[in-house]
Amino acid sequence: MTMSQAAENVQNQINELPALLTSAVKELKPVRDAAVNFAKAKVVVDGKIDRKLVDKEQHILHGLAWYQTYISTLTETAKWANELASAGAFTEIEANLCVVLFADYLSDIAAGIMMTQVERIRPTDLGIKSVAQAAIDGEICQKIIALNTQELKTRTAELIHQVQGRATIENTGLDETLEMVRDTFFAFANEKVKPFAHEWHLKDDYIPMEIIDELAELGVFGLTLEEEYGGSGLGKRAMCVVSEELSRGYIGVGSLGTRAEIACELIINGNDEEQKAHYLPKIASGEILPTAVFTEPNTGSDLGSLQTRAVKEGDKYVITGNKTWITHAARADLMTLLVRTDPNTNNFKGLSMLLAEKERGTDENPFPTKGMTGGEIHVLGYRGMKEFELGFDGFEVPTKNLLGGVEGMGFKHLMATFESARIQTAARAIGVAQNALDIGLQYATERKQFGDYIYAFPRVHNKIVQMAAEIMGVRQLTYFAALEKDTGARCDLEAGMAKLLAARIAWACADNALQIHGGNGFALEYQISRVLCDARILNIFEGAGEIQAQVIARRLLEE
Amino acid sequence: MKILVPVKRVIDYNVKVRVKTDETGVDLANVKMSMNPFCEIAVEEAVRLKEKGIATEVVAVSIGVTPAQETLRTALAMGADRAILLTTDVDPEPLAVAKLLKAVFEEEKPDAVIMGKQAIDGDNNATGQMLAALLDLPQATFASEVVVEGGKAKVTREVDGGLQTLEVALPAIITVDLRLNEPRFASLPNIMKAKKKPIDIKEASAYGVDLAPHLKVTKVTEPPKRSAGIKVESVGELVAKLKDAGVI
Repeated sequence: MTMSQAAENVQNQINELPALLTSAVKELKPVRDAAVNFAKAKVVVDGKIDRKLVDKEQHILHGLAWYQTYISTLTETAKWANELASAGAFTEIEANLCVVLFADYLSDIAAGIMMTQVERIRPTDLGIKSVAQAAIDGEICQKIIALNTQELKTRTAELIHQVQGRATIENTGLDETLEMVRDTFFAFANEKVKPFAHEWHLKDDYIPMEIIDELAELGVFGLTLEEEYGGSGLGKRAMCVVSEELSRGYIGVGSLGTRAEIACELIINGNDEEQKAHYLPKIASGEILPTAVFTEPNTGSDLGSLQTRAVKEGDKYVITGNKTWITHAARADLMTLLVRTDPNTNNFKGLSMLLAEKERGTDENPFPTKGMTGGEIHVLGYRGMKEFELGFDGFEVPTKNLLGGVEGMGFKHLMATFESARIQTAARAIGVAQNALDIGLQYATERKQFGDYIYAFPRVHNKIVQMAAEIMGVRQLTYFAALEKDTGARCDLEAGMAKLLAARIAWACADNALQIHGGNGFALEYQISRVLCDARILNIFEGAGEIQAQVIARRLLEE
Repeated sequence: MKILVPVKRVIDYNVKVRVKTDETGVDLANVKMSMNPFCEIAVEEAVRLKEKGIATEVVAVSIGVTPAQETLRTALAMGADRAILLTTDVDPEPLAVAKLLKAVFEEEKPDAVIMGKQAIDGDNNATGQMLAALLDLPQATFASEVVVEGGKAKVTREVDGGLQTLEVALPAIITVDLRLNEPRFASLPNIMKAKKKPIDIKEASAYGVDLAPHLKVTKVTEPPKRSAGIKVESVGELVAKLKDAGVI
């Protein structure tokens, strides 16, 4: 075969792939439907979802969530591949990464999906053994799986190594404006964050205020706010891109915007004109740093059982209770504080959200405000803002600072922020995963063993290729959730899936990039040791993986 | 005061360039392209002069392939008011660029041209000087400080012996050096505003300038790879090895 013929064959393969991916996704429809029906049969009694059965059948339900997550990821990836192809931008690297992702996920659909390292959902568990096997054994899926050779992976590794200076390995399909946003924050993180992050982590230091001020000037805290409140009026995909690139520098920096995002969403949902006019511009400008104060020592995922009390006395609420896992609490100026205003309730109905102002603390005096104390919780990773437990005893909040002006709406307000927070967290996870890939790739192309760079060895470069493929897939799932959110559609399902998968990918990337480092990865001085610690939080906060799977499964059962 | 800022789209400075296997040039496939860093400094300086109330309009101009629009969009996001793109698929040499810029200068009639001292791809360091000669205007190159006052620019230049300060009457051509300023990152609101700013796209060929290359590139090769060193036990051995290598 001549060179040009070989090149022509590769090009033909690239040209045919998008349609093939679409066909593969169609093959998965009966698998998905059978899994949903099987789960329904287990937990739906007389047309109603039985709560006790839902608890009993968690393994099946969460497994269903994972199946849906894989199928949705492939669906969105196929859609993106087709769109890129029609724009003439689907090249060898995108095609190869699609092959790797599809071959792996399709095979998993027939064999079982890893929910955690110690739990797999098997097709038999979901009653889909034969239907899944038939779909994957079919001509279409087998054609894709057959393409996933070591030669293709080695070639992909070479292409990945050639992508230099570009923020993403694949063409993400986002428009010119979003790409400019990405380039800007990629450059910012490379210059102002990445070189210092490891030292901040090792010293357990705060992210310097200068960085926070610069982020405010760049418009990070008012990213999605309307212009009338000092925002940029950008959509959630822009939020994703900014979160990705800042988290790629350091997860703490990528997470500063999360608090502003949650606070702004709460205040917008509260829809009190005075509160909006007062707080939104100040949050956008960085003058007010907000923090989210929801979790309690005995209240994590089960927020309905929350105990912190707010008692109305004249024109103020007096707060008593304990909160924990409050990020950036000492330096924050405003707490979105979830409290129980109705003592006669023991569920979510009696909860209200307060916009509780506090004085910004210093290292010497972290909590100067009357009625409030705090203690630092020392943590493995995700440092830079510090974690605190807080005690409230006689802490006062003016009644006019009740979010939306109506009691009992706290849980509803909070629920409304979950979609955005999860999309943003998925984006943070993608940033962390991408950073792990970057660090692993750099080490692998600089470290020589047995007379060659270790990147030349398949067991090393296959890891990087797999990371790139999964990051590409979950990126498309996340952008899809963000786009849904922008159009006002309900997207808790998509947001939950994006967060669930991105967190697992971030951990896998960090763990395997560390593996590439061998013994050096275990040394604190190598930054991959930090990225491993940082990645671990992603499957815990903003809804643990298990809760996320539960939420996804509930939605599927409601169909 | 109107400032014209020429900007060039080049391989991003972070990229380790690959030479094409046939040694005819540099491989641009899948390579990140960005604004030449010296051009960024020029845009920053012009925008700062506008923010100080000295300049009233900053116009960015680029010559090159259609995607150079992205480079101009970056200039607009940094604070330029409008942009001009002269499209051509040829990679024009400095003299051709200077002639095209002369034509743009005559259309726009700016009070100053602030531009990078060189682009990091060709490293020619020629266009600014040629433009000044073609326009018969004063030039101040390698600026590390620019002060504009009363129709004149006081430009501090980095020269071998230290710093030299020149005063040039405007309009003048000023080329900027690395230490003039630290270019800003475009903020999100400014990226959004840049979308609405105009880019005037024209064909470079319409200016009647000879764009054909007059230099012939015979070969492009990678720098020689460093070979592994050796360890010596003593100073005596080191001296002996250096003598063997014929360097002392």
